[in-house]
Amino acid sequence: MSTLYAIYAIGRADFLERVRRHSFLVTLLFAVYLGYAAATGQISLRLGEYRGVYTSAWIGVMVSLITTTFLSLVGFYIVKNAVERDRQTGVGEILASTPLSRTAYLLGKFLSNFAVLASMLVVLALAAIVMQFLATEDRAFHAWALLSPFLLLSLPALALTAALALLFETMRILRGGFGNVAWFFLWGLTIGLPGAIDAHRFDPFGLWTVFRSVVPAARATIPGYEDAFSLTVADSSVRVFPGFHWEGIDWTSGEVLLRVTWLGVAFGLILIGALFFDRFDPARTRAQSVTESKQTGGASEAEAHQLPGAMGAPATISFALVPLSDSERTSNFTRIFVAELRLAVKGYRWWWYAVAAGLVVAQAAVPLEISRGLLLSAAWIWPILIWSALGTREGRFSTQQLLFSCPRVLPRQLPAAWLASVFLAALLGAGTALRLGLAGQGAALFAWAAGALFIPSLALALGVWTGTSRFFEGLYTAIWYIGPLNRVPGFDFTGGGSGGLASRFAWLYLGISAILVAAAFARRARQLRGI
Amino acid sequence: MQLNVEKVSKTYPGNVQALRSFGLTLRPGVLGLLGPNGAGKSTLMRILATITRPTSGRVLWNGTDIANKPDALRDVLGYLPQDFGIYPNLTVVEFLDYLAAVKGLRAANARRRIRDLLDIVNLRDAARRLLGGFSGGMRQRVGIAQALLNDPKLLIVDEPTAGLDPEERVRFRNLLSELSGERIVILSTHIVSDVEAVATQIALIAHGQLIAYGAQETLLAAINGKVWEVVISSDALPQLRQQHLVSNTAHRSDGVHVRVIADELPKAGARPLEPSLEDAYLAALAAHRSGQAVREVVA
Repeated sequence: MSTLYAIYAIGRADFLERVRRHSFLVTLLFAVYLGYAAATGQISLRLGEYRGVYTSAWIGVMVSLITTTFLSLVGFYIVKNAVERDRQTGVGEILASTPLSRTAYLLGKFLSNFAVLASMLVVLALAAIVMQFLATEDRAFHAWALLSPFLLLSLPALALTAALALLFETMRILRGGFGNVAWFFLWGLTIGLPGAIDAHRFDPFGLWTVFRSVVPAARATIPGYEDAFSLTVADSSVRVFPGFHWEGIDWTSGEVLLRVTWLGVAFGLILIGALFFDRFDPARTRAQSVTESKQTGGASEAEAHQLPGAMGAPATISFALVPLSDSERTSNFTRIFVAELRLAVKGYRWWWYAVAAGLVVAQAAVPLEISRGLLLSAAWIWPILIWSALGTREGRFSTQQLLFSCPRVLPRQLPAAWLASVFLAALLGAGTALRLGLAGQGAALFAWAAGALFIPSLALALGVWTGTSRFFEGLYTAIWYIGPLNRVPGFDFTGGGSGGLASRFAWLYLGISAILVAAAFARRARQLRGI
Repeated sequence: MQLNVEKVSKTYPGNVQALRSFGLTLRPGVLGLLGPNGAGKSTLMRILATITRPTSGRVLWNGTDIANKPDALRDVLGYLPQDFGIYPNLTVVEFLDYLAAVKGLRAANARRRIRDLLDIVNLRDAARRLLGGFSGGMRQRVGIAQALLNDPKLLIVDEPTAGLDPEERVRFRNLLSELSGERIVILSTHIVSDVEAVATQIALIAHGQLIAYGAQETLLAAINGKVWEVVISSDALPQLRQQHLVSNTAHRSDGVHVRVIADELPKAGARPLEPSLEDAYLAALAAHRSGQAVREVVA
């Protein structure tokens, strides 16, 4: 009983800590926006060029799938800080000194993660109810048909998301930015794989459960229907097929059991996480963050004492400090730029630099199309963790007070940090730029330059505004996947996939970059004023 | 060189008032800022260090309002916050060089300065080690070094001796004493002995208000003849605590030796003692809590 109470207490405290932050309001606003997007048809469930009539069942399943799909992606980044917060605040060490087991701790954190995601689900479920009354396509309200998809499709999917976020936090390799990037691909795989291998049992998000219910009904009703089924964004060409009144999923005990199984999988993931969880023991963490090491005392006393000169020096020595004149206090901008660049690239293993150098050389050596395509894409995802530190490094390492009490941070330090990242983007893409220059492709070179400016600008703005690197890592990976990798025009900020429109899109990205940088400076100015 | 704190108040969201009409004028020397936890010391430090702005009132550095022109002060400011971090993948030298660049020091000056500071904070032999492996005390010494990088005219140190071993603490006190000649040093702490050792002026703060300010001698003189030693049995101690302000106790073979602060002889046989700064501090806090008039002792 006391263990259950401990799990509840951990979950409750973590949940309260989260919901009392302003950022939780933004989280709920995101859920409201998703509901609005569904209600206004910006996101819709399509059967080819048609959709079903807005019955309770159709609206329920559509909003539920929107919830599952988007919340599983974005929600992961929202909740993936439950353990990290305890690590940073030092609460973790206090908890670690109690009899609390790893599993109980993680179950408590899981409860909190799940509660945060479930609160967003509640907002969307309410939006779905409102939507049916506003749409008035079908006035018959069936509570079970509308709400059962939220209960049986979305909740297990969100439980899985909550557990995976926790699992990532317990594994050292997935705890940081690499995990944030990896999640995007895992999420994509989880959505696509069940359809690709025709195995709906491996479908945690429930897309194929809906597919197997909707598609046969559509086949029987819509003439010429060829099993098209998709959740689409910003496509207004969908039409209602008036005769298609879908009545909802037939929740057989087998289907229910299948969905409930995912709750069990979530529980299993937490147990696996408990095996990896270091229980805030710094000895099990090779690379500590500053705050961690600060709170844990950093190096062991024995290790610290091994440093020659750390102890035993006389207390009374001469403190000879040569005074600085006023003219000696002003350095040029290049010095701070170099300092920021060094800070950005420091701390990686040798092979990181080797791969980066290899990518640049390869860009110059291979045919231009490959250089501008696959290689430039690879080069511009490789330093993602460097870019994602922009605007967040000070918070992550608690150096704000040291930095913000320095003179001219806004006109010097922030531009230097941004330019260092722009320089890095240009350097990593230098091989392609060289090839474009030699080939005389001025427009393509212009698009390349816009891309090199866009990436750090997005990182800086998101970093300064959100204070965390997670959102840039998630959003940039998504844009990079859609744009440079899959060559979707407009999204490809390298210009490679935009064909003749490359210049136009380059101007667009330049404009967006300018806005992002201005937003970052505005926010940092407020931070410097202590607002 | 002068720092004027004029009727500064700070209210946090939720109507939490951290500072109330706080006023001081500082000239070169070491000011010891003493106060209990939550008194508003760190808020005052952050305001003086241009990290946060006062809700009302103003702070003037040589006549310039630092809320409007923070860089006028930041150019000559050295600040050691109570809580600060470092970048774990940089060495001490790299970290100090980075901050020197941000503070605006030229490379050659920075190198020379860092070399001197590493000697002063006794980190020369650890100069090339990554900060991520440093102990709390070593990190604190890095913090002290960074605060002195730009030869500050105003040096603000918030709980600077936290985490330092006794020897390093003495070194730091000596350093502060030597540095104070041509600059204003503000030392915020609740460790009375640190202040006693180096401060030329002392400000006592409680509930966001200045409750006493002056030279150490002046503060001590205010309770001269009010500190006593009483020897009693252990059983009588609770009653004595209820009647008088007790600043210290020591159990000996002849009973408990109790240090009492009282306007008059607390007990027959009580022996008068020389007041310490801790006595003055406790007496001022007790007077403030009991609602007695705020004592402003001007040096």
